Amino acid sequence: MNRLSSAASAATAIALFLNTPSLAQSSTDIDAVRAEIRAMKEAYENRIAQLENRIKMMEAGKKPAASNPVQRTAGGRSIRDSSFNPSIGVILNGRASSFSEDSSEFAGFAVGEEGERGREGISVDESELNFSANADDKFYGSLTLAVVREGGEDKVELEEAYVQTLPDAGLPDGARIKAGRAFWTLGYLNEHHTHSDDFADRPLPYRAYLNKSFNDDGVEFSFVLPTELYSEIGGGIFRGSDFPFGSSTGGFDSWSAFARVGGDIGDNQSWRFGVYSLRGNATTRTTNEGAVTFNGDSNLYAADLRYIWAPTGNPRQQELILQAEYFHRSEDGRYSDNNANAVGVAYNEASSGWYTQIVYKFAPSWRIGARYSQLHSPDVPAGLAGSALDAADHDPYAIAIMGDWTNSEFGRFRLQYNFEELAENREDHQVTLQYVLSIGAHGAHAY
Amino acid sequence: MLTRTSVIGAVVLAAELLSPPPAAAQLNVFACEPEWAALARELGGDRIEAFSATGSQQDPHHIRARPSLIAKVRRADLLFCSGGGLEVGWLPLLLRRGGRTVIQPGKTGHLMAIEHVEVLERTSSTDRSLGDVHPEGNPHAHLDPKNIVRIGEEFTRRLIATSPNSTAYFTARKEAFLKGWGQKLNEWNRRAQHLAGMPVIVHHKSWSYLIRWLKLREIATLEAKPGIPPTTQHLESLLKLSRTTPVSAIIVTPFDSTKPADWLSAKSGIPVLTLPFTVSRDASPGDLAKLFETTLTLLESAHARR
Repeated sequence: MNRLSSAASAATAIALFLNTPSLAQSSTDIDAVRAEIRAMKEAYENRIAQLENRIKMMEAGKKPAASNPVQRTAGGRSIRDSSFNPSIGVILNGRASSFSEDSSEFAGFAVGEEGERGREGISVDESELNFSANADDKFYGSLTLAVVREGGEDKVELEEAYVQTLPDAGLPDGARIKAGRAFWTLGYLNEHHTHSDDFADRPLPYRAYLNKSFNDDGVEFSFVLPTELYSEIGGGIFRGSDFPFGSSTGGFDSWSAFARVGGDIGDNQSWRFGVYSLRGNATTRTTNEGAVTFNGDSNLYAADLRYIWAPTGNPRQQELILQAEYFHRSEDGRYSDNNANAVGVAYNEASSGWYTQIVYKFAPSWRIGARYSQLHSPDVPAGLAGSALDAADHDPYAIAIMGDWTNSEFGRFRLQYNFEELAENREDHQVTLQYVLSIGAHGAHAY
Repeated sequence: MLTRTSVIGAVVLAAELLSPPPAAAQLNVFACEPEWAALARELGGDRIEAFSATGSQQDPHHIRARPSLIAKVRRADLLFCSGGGLEVGWLPLLLRRGGRTVIQPGKTGHLMAIEHVEVLERTSSTDRSLGDVHPEGNPHAHLDPKNIVRIGEEFTRRLIATSPNSTAYFTARKEAFLKGWGQKLNEWNRRAQHLAGMPVIVHHKSWSYLIRWLKLREIATLEAKPGIPPTTQHLESLLKLSRTTPVSAIIVTPFDSTKPADWLSAKSGIPVLTLPFTVSRDASPGDLAKLFETTLTLLESAHARR
């Protein structure tokens, strides 16, 4: 049909060209040409119809017997899984940023390298390379490499390398085990790659508490309960070597648990709510460009809520997304800050942080969004006064406003303005222009 | 460490014990589109409970893999979808997350409609610059009533394989349905004769099976490339085309954006015809036949106007 209609429109285009008044031909000439085109069109249409019939007959000949239902499998679609095994997907990501403030230290928080704001000027962001495939009927495997700029060098980081059980693995229905390195289940954003985020940067709690994201080595179990309402529980054991933990001693230093529920309200609204914990022992966690070290227990608790309203039921046309996450962290151990000559200061404090955001898709290709993030700084023990952990009674906060344009689901351009006051009187105005492009296979995004 | 893992183990065990007994009387059918839920209800009667993931106002290409759908998949005994890549944006995710073994690809409980009919518009191209193409062919197979017969027969086979105790019941329902459908089909085919050759423009290639069945002439699509919203440039070219080629109607689904069709209609005078495309999410027996009757009636009136 496609070829048929394009042949028809090509013929029409020629007809229109010939029809322009500047040629000043007599109407009989034009009629003659029209007749000729019509004849050509008919001839082509007949020929195409013949060829299409031949294809149909050939396809029909190849078709397996319809009475054998069990052997059929859902055909993989090339866009999602690129006809190669394994599927290969690439995320290209770049930005241009301008900041008004020189430094972006978080008052009262020990922040890792990836929690800091990005580089100013033009830069290539994390470029991701993903390979994934079903290993067999029971296991799925995925590897994601990210090329990042750290310390003036391009480094290859192993973002994810995991195996995961498939529904046929023999576990009870709804149960799943994932092992290796992955963006583990914790809050909303942690599970997602940054390229699918709604803003150009992660909100403050993610930067302070997770160094952008938690992707330790470990194993996670989850179980979807057979309830009317969506409900899922799970937990994991991790090495304890990724932020908020340090260099692991025993290799089983951290564990997590989570529970989620979700459902619909009417036809056009949906929601999901979850609670999470990530507890463990941090050994020599180094932050603030090597200056600050922590040893001790670091326990993080989180809750997330996501609500989506698609006014027409079609999220592609119009959609409103509300999202909020809350984090609470308690740390019991010893902090050192080389820059402040503080060594092994006993520390037992709690802090919290949250953000809330609204993103509105008002036309299929256009979205606008706003986000507010806030951290509540912990108290500082006397021994750390004047160190990086001393918030001087300031609670860091940030406001972000963004607008983005999406050509297809595989390409997005975004302009974002941030206002951040992470330390007292350090008002930072930031402007970022960003692109995110996906080539090759790109699986569907989760809720 | 041991205590922690055993806590998790205990929680899972408790959840298993709390889950409802497996021998529920009705089979849960998870349909991706309302037409398949309707067909399932026709054939399954009161021995099934059918749910449709999408409603008649929703574009089945693009819905979100919502938590509620994961819960539905988790409890489904049979999956009934169009296939051919139509649901690729959300169904594989639901199947993996829901973790229900009996409806996974390759299992008897996994029915993809277009694998059982003659598929139109297969292509070997996967270049995304050509739009959202389905290499497996056009998946909107339900608007040819002959396909309903083939797919219905296959669904009954799956029902019986899943629940052999109800073989007599499902066979009787199938025979009754097909007999009624056959009579209606003869009537529809009679009416269709008057529509043959009716020239139409369509928004998306949602109508190819209907067009082939009724022998309509598809002059053009509003989308220059499938799945990519119509461009002004392309609409301008269609406007020019409409001056030289007679067109009876611009056919759209209830979930297509109406702006491009309205624009072309206002400029060219070709009426926009919104056909129902499918039945309502909660369709009851008889509604599937009404879908074809309404479609024919609307086409006939548009044809008569020109």
